[in-house]
Amino acid sequence: MDELTVEIGGLRTAFVTRDPEVLDVIAGRYAGFLATGAADWRIEVDRRGEGLVDLEDVVVRAAGRLDRLVAERHDFVATLDLPARTGSLSLGAVDHVAVDSFLRVAYSLALLEAGALLVHAASLGRQARSWVFAGPSGSGKTTLTRLSPDATLLSDEISIVRLGDDGGACCYGSPFWGELGEAGRNLAVPLTAVHFLRHADRHATTALAPRRALAALLPNVLFFAAEPALVARVLDVAADLVGRVPCYALGFRPEASVWEAIEGA
Amino acid sequence: MPEAYPVQNPRAAWRVYEGEAVIVSPEDSTLHTLNPVGTLIWQAADGRTALDAIVGRVCETFDVDRATAARDAAAFVELMERRGLLTVHEMPHEPA
Repeated sequence: MDELTVEIGGLRTAFVTRDPEVLDVIAGRYAGFLATGAADWRIEVDRRGEGLVDLEDVVVRAAGRLDRLVAERHDFVATLDLPARTGSLSLGAVDHVAVDSFLRVAYSLALLEAGALLVHAASLGRQARSWVFAGPSGSGKTTLTRLSPDATLLSDEISIVRLGDDGGACCYGSPFWGELGEAGRNLAVPLTAVHFLRHADRHATTALAPRRALAALLPNVLFFAAEPALVARVLDVAADLVGRVPCYALGFRPEASVWEAIEGA
Repeated sequence: MPEAYPVQNPRAAWRVYEGEAVIVSPEDSTLHTLNPVGTLIWQAADGRTALDAIVGRVCETFDVDRATAARDAAAFVELMERRGLLTVHEMPHEPA
């Protein structure tokens, strides 16, 4: 068996497999996120006998115990044992799309325990500070990243925010890209603010009270399991985050001067 | 009128922040936020407490007359039932 470890959001996952093609796909797709040293999670990977199956969306369900989950999509089926931090992944197609889909599900669950969330948001770093820009497709996430050539890209699509022991939070670079087709830098940068994006005629930031910020944040959290205890944990982490980090509604027009509004908030 | 015992859907995830409940619907992950009166009713909906007793708690906690509180509570419970977040039983009911 060979193995390869990736580190995302400060959490290391070792992929263990006899299949060199799987390792090639992972090494190529997550080149900026490969790590050495002891892994937090261990996933055994093989090929799914029946190949692709007819399944439209990701399905995550408990398997006997509430903390042992099965995740399935048309191109993979996986088990995740949350307390043991082990799992299995059977790929219906050995390509980066299937592996990426699995990792989004797996990390949404694995990072939760560490007080971290995957958020449908772009994120950028500047001078040791970072900002998260959340919003649905079309709200301007990729536009904003393109307006920021001097900023460090952490993600244009799926950002990772993690509560820190110091009472603050960090934004981690993410390999999960969107329209930009470019991975973020694998860095952890102190999080300055979360902005909820919308296109507007002029730049304007409006501070959101924690309850409003929580209501704005939750629909943007990427989470696939429906188990009440896990969803309640998402609520806890999200509520903690909006209590720690200032949140704003950001109306902007597509001009680089938006950074004056962002940094001036 | 038969007595009504509302009980929370055990698959709904919820928390109370700043005195107001935030509930995630188990069917479609829709987010519901309740005002303080709704939050009190939601928290009391344990299947063992009659709606009439819950209305009494509402009147003790908020400045509202009993008839208004009873009417509003019945409407709230009906709405939450339609959303799949509460079920109503005619007898005391232990949640699953």
